[in-house]
Order: sequence, then structure tokens, then C-alpha cells
Amino acid sequence: MDEAYWDKEIETIDRHSLQQLQLERLNKTLERASKSQYYKRRIPAKINNLTALKDIPFTTKSDLRNSFPEGMLAVSRDEIVRLHASSGTTGRATVIYHTKRDIDNWTDLVARSMYMTGVRKSDVFQNMMGYGLFTGGLGLHYGSERLGALIIPASSGNSKRQIRLMKDFHSTVVHITPSYALHLYTLFQEKGIDPKNDLDLRIAFLGAEPHSEETKLRLENLFGLDAYNSYGLSEMNGPGVAFECQLKDGMHVWEDSYILEIIDPDTGEGLSDGEEGEIVFTTLKREGMPIIRYRTGDIAQTYPEECPCGRTHRKISRIKGRTDDMLIVKGVNVYPMQIEKVLMDIPEVDNNYLIEIETVDYLDSLNIKVEVRQNIFHGGIKELESLKKRISEDLKNETLISPRITLVEPNSLPKSEGKAVRVVDKRDRDV
Amino acid sequence: MASQVTVFVENKPGRISHIARILGKNNINIRAITISDRGEYGLINIIASDPDRAHDILLKEGFSVSRNYVIGVLMKDRPGALADITEYLNESEINISNAYGFILKSGDKAVLILEVDDFDRAEEVIRGGGFHTLSKEELVNL
Ligand SMILES: [Zn+2]
Repeated sequence: MDEAYWDKEIETIDRHSLQQLQLERLNKTLERASKSQYYKRRIPAKINNLTALKDIPFTTKSDLRNSFPEGMLAVSRDEIVRLHASSGTTGRATVIYHTKRDIDNWTDLVARSMYMTGVRKSDVFQNMMGYGLFTGGLGLHYGSERLGALIIPASSGNSKRQIRLMKDFHSTVVHITPSYALHLYTLFQEKGIDPKNDLDLRIAFLGAEPHSEETKLRLENLFGLDAYNSYGLSEMNGPGVAFECQLKDGMHVWEDSYILEIIDPDTGEGLSDGEEGEIVFTTLKREGMPIIRYRTGDIAQTYPEECPCGRTHRKISRIKGRTDDMLIVKGVNVYPMQIEKVLMDIPEVDNNYLIEIETVDYLDSLNIKVEVRQNIFHGGIKELESLKKRISEDLKNETLISPRITLVEPNSLPKSEGKAVRVVDKRDRDV
Repeated sequence: MASQVTVFVENKPGRISHIARILGKNNINIRAITISDRGEYGLINIIASDPDRAHDILLKEGFSVSRNYVIGVLMKDRPGALADITEYLNESEINISNAYGFILKSGDKAVLILEVDDFDRAEEVIRGGGFHTLSKEELVNL
């Protein structure tokens, strides 16, 4: 008989016991965190009930950045076995440290999440997300191994090989960005492959990019599989923070490992279930780098109703937006400020530029328009081409994305004075 | 020395005629015009009757424009004339970054415009080969 839960006791724990467990683990977390330079004077040693959490200050992305590299480290460096870092060479980087047990706990959450969607030992899981500093690749990799499925660590890109692997090893589960899935589908059509009949795919994890419910449904229909939404962020490990169960109506947040709060982003006040606001997380099991009341910048709401699947952990809606101007391009988080900083370091570029994001053949394409001003133009093509190359390489180093650079005539872009529009997002949202 | 005016333009319709109209309105004649096309943008090279004024006018109109020296070689407009000179340049190891030609109104002569890396040496070598290079005045008065 197929067991429905990976960890029945924890997944179906009653709310009262869950809150007891949270308080217990929160106090352990406070104790651990107080050993870090950052938290040592910011948090109480102990709290007596969960409602007292709201008196502890928030931790923000810039707090993480400012305490780079080791300000939030709560154990000796010797205990750390892995780090994951965000992109950025200009001081915008953040780093998360994991102890052996942190990796173990994270892995278990991912296995639990995958199991919840129906992945079993007999499955063949083709992981098409980038490995490396990005948490999406390695996170699901180890979770899948823990679960016992056969993993193909395909990583991203190389469409021909991806298709070959799917056919040769009869992949049943894929982890893929929605835009890449749509791109693959066009290749299937060219090659005369009908994924519904010619392949064995049955489950897809659509990661790393915001996408509409319509896109998800479309992919389910095109490929003939069940696609599951998930939510994770590197500050909270990565994947495995929240996942859809087989009812596909909201994502269960693993509340034995994270305290979930929804706050009013303007006032910081807590909101009730069903009210839309900013997601705030506190790690409950993290040893290497506990993070308390982390403001994710993501807007969502919790579902007040109990889920018929039997899991008692609350569900959140899909992410409805951001409190800041973060862009997600090809699955990578990019802030316009990062791009601006790189451009401003190139004397030829000055203030006249425009960031455009569009969908080309279902994939995100980042295009930076730069004016060829009168004082930088000396009549040579070589010069202009090497300027393009230099801008593109500098941006790739900073953001990990290679943009296309387009040179335009002087005074054709919005002026730098006032509130000029510097980012134009022209992507298809509901393909 | 002869010079050409180079204008940076985006690859969109009407840019060349727009530039030609500006120069025409200012009584500047265009002897030759070529485009180095790079896809999204192009460089328009102009041999004009008054390159200095053409440069200043286009600059004032807001274009990114530059003026650089080129070598104008007078050729007979007959089969093989171009081959003669290019072969000679090749043998003399003159590096040409751009070249284009135009035929003079009289019909028996043509002008080859050369953009070269080492301007002084190139001009000396070309003259040494018995070819006639045009002075600034000659080019203007063609
Ligand atoms: Zn459920």
C-alpha cells in the first residue's frame, strides 16, 4: 500500500502541538542566533509565547548584505559544510552557510515536498535546473536522492541532450523553468515528438520564474503531466519551503521548519489569514545561520481553510508581486540597481540607457539600449563593437545573465532627469 | 588630405534620406555615400563637397558624427583598374579597414576611397606606385 505521507507525524500534526513545537524550536533558534555578531544584541534570549515574536525586529535583505560575509554566522566556520551565495560582485552579494545538519534537514524537506506531489522511488527525475551557487539545482538533487528516485543531473541548457535523456532513460519527473519548458515544446514539434505519447513525463516542478496559472495549465496540457508550484528562497535554504500538494490549490509551508507571518509591508503589522501582505519567515532548525523574521519582499496570502489532503501546515497562494523592484530574468534575481551600477562604471555609457526584457522564442531576453553619444563616437566600428562586448561582459559578471547590447542614436532614450523609466518589461505573461 | 564624414545611425527607415536632406538644405553636395551595416545600427560614410561644414551641421542636428582622413585614389573607369590597385596594396601590405568607390560624372574616371590604419605610410606607398591620390581641394572640386 502506497503511503501518502513522507513524514506522517509531522505533516499531519495538530495545530496546537505544532505551535508548541514552533515555540520550542524558536527558543533554540534564538539561543543559537545570539552567538552571531549580528543578532547578539538584537534579540531576546527567550520568549514565552509565539505572539511575542512580533516584538523582535525584522531582518532584511540589506541586513544580510551588510553582515556579509560572516556577520550572521552562528557556529564556528569548521562546522560549515556548504555555502550558497547570490550573484553580485559589487557588494550586493549575500551568502548562506549550512552545517551538515542544515543540509540534512533541507534535504528532508525537499524529499517530503517531492513525495507529497507523488514522486516515488520508481521515478526517473531529470533535473534541468542550473547546479552550482543557485539553490534550485542542488536542492532538488539531494531531495530526490533521499527519496530514492533515480536522478539525472542534467542541469540547464543543451536542449538536444535534454530530449535525448528523456527518451533514453524514460524520465518521469522534470524540474524546469516554465519558459524553458515552452521552448522545449517548440523543439518537440520540430522533431515530431508528441510528449504525451512519445515520452513518459508525469510530473513537473516549475521553478525559479514567476508564471501565471494559465501558463502552468497550458504546460500541463501540452506535456500531459501534473505541474506543481513551489516556493523557496536561498535565504530559507532554497526549494522546499512551500510546495503544492496533489490538490494543487495553494502551497503548504513547512511550519515545523519555518514560522510563517504575513505582514503589512508599509506598517510591519501582522495580518490575518486570507489577507494579502509580505511573507516573513523565521528559520526554526537552521544551525549555521539562523535568520529571524526575514522580510522576503514577496506578496502572498495564507489560506484559512484546512486542506483536504490532511496536512495541517498552512498554505500560501502563489506569489502576487514584490515589494521592491526585483526582476526575475531567466530564473535569476536581478535588481535594476545592479545593472545601473555596472553601466555607470563604464564611462562611455553615462546616464542614457534603457533595460528591456522581452520574450523571444518563449525565453527571457535581456536587452540593454545604450546611446552612442557624440563625445564617445570616433567613427570606428571596431570601437563600437568592443564597447558592446565590454558592457555585455561586465553585466554578465555582475548578474550572471548575458544581455544583448543595442546601440542607439543620441537623445533617443528617456532623459536621466526626473522619474525616467529605465526598465521596460515586455514579456508575455500569459502565453 | 581628403576626409570623409561618418554618421552613426540606427537601422530604421528614413535615416539616410533625412541626412541627405539636411546636407542638401545647407548646399552641401554628396559625392559618395556608403553604409557599413552592423544589423541594429550602421555607419554612413559620406564624401561631401564641404566635409568640415557637413560635420558641424550634422553635429548640431544631434547626430553622433566623426570626420576622418581617407585616401582618395583616382582611377581610370575601365575593367581591371580596381584589380590593379588592390593587388598593389596587397603586395605592399597596406591594411585597409574599409574601401568604396564612385564614378565621376565625366564617365571615364573613378575614385576609390580607402580607410587605412597607417595613413602616412599608405599614402606614400600608393603615390610611389604611380597612382594619383587626391588632395582635399581636388576631392571637393571633382
Ligand atoms: Zn494539501
